[in-house]
Amino acid sequence: MLVFTRKRDEAIIIGDGIEIRVLRTGRDGVKLGVTAPASVAVHRREIYDLIRAENETAVRRPHDLQQLLARLCSQPKSSDEP
Amino acid sequence: MIQLTASCPSVAPLTVRTADIARLEPRCEDVIAFPDGLPGFEECRRFVMSSDGDQPFQCLEGLEASSPAFVTVDPARILVGYRLILSPVDRRRLDAREEDPLLWLAIVTVNPDDTATVNLRAPIVINPRLMIGFQVMPHDCLYPLRHPLSI
Repeated sequence: MLVFTRKRDEAIIIGDGIEIRVLRTGRDGVKLGVTAPASVAVHRREIYDLIRAENETAVRRPHDLQQLLARLCSQPKSSDEP
Repeated sequence: MIQLTASCPSVAPLTVRTADIARLEPRCEDVIAFPDGLPGFEECRRFVMSSDGDQPFQCLEGLEASSPAFVTVDPARILVGYRLILSPVDRRRLDAREEDPLLWLAIVTVNPDDTATVNLRAPIVINPRLMIGFQVMPHDCLYPLRHPLSI
C-alpha cells in the first residue's frame, strides 16, 4: 500500500483522470473530494461491502434457478409501507 | 445439464449451461453487458435475462466461467410507488437518453429457512436500447437491503 501524507487542499492523482483531494480534516474524520471520469464508479467501501455480501447470499447456481422459481410461483404481495 | 454454444461476430463465442428444463439459446441481442460486473462478481461482464410469461420473477444468469445466477423481480411490483432517481453520472454510465425507458430489477434472496427478501437498496438498472446495465448503489437510499417477501 502506498502511503501519503497530505494536508488540506492537497491531492493525489490516480491514473489518467482520478483526483482525490483533502477538503477538510477534523477530529471526526477527513472530508475527501473525488474527481473521476463518469465511467469510474466511486462508492463508500462499507456500502459496497454490504451489497457485495447480499449478492453473495442471493447467488444461485444456474441449475438451481428453476427450482427456486417454482417456489416463488405465487405472486409477490405489494405493500405501501416504505 | 445441457451445454449450449452460440457465437456471433462481435463477441467471443459463449457457452451457456442451463438446467434440463430451460432451453436457453442466447442471441447476441439478448446479452446484457455489465461493464463492472456485479459487486462480488466483478469478473462476470455478460448476463442473459429470461422470464416465463407473466411471472413477476426473472432469471439473470451470468455467461462467464463462474456463471452466477440470480432471481430478480421488478421492485415496483414489490413496493407500490418504488422509485429511484438515477444521478447524472449513473445515467451517463448507461448512455441513457431522456426518452429511454429503463428496466429495473431487484435481486431476490431466498434463505435456508425458506424466508425470502428483496434487495430494494441496490437494484439493477438496464438500458434496453443498448443492453447495458449495472447495480445502482446510491449513497443515500431509504429503501431496505432486505425487504421481506411473502412466499
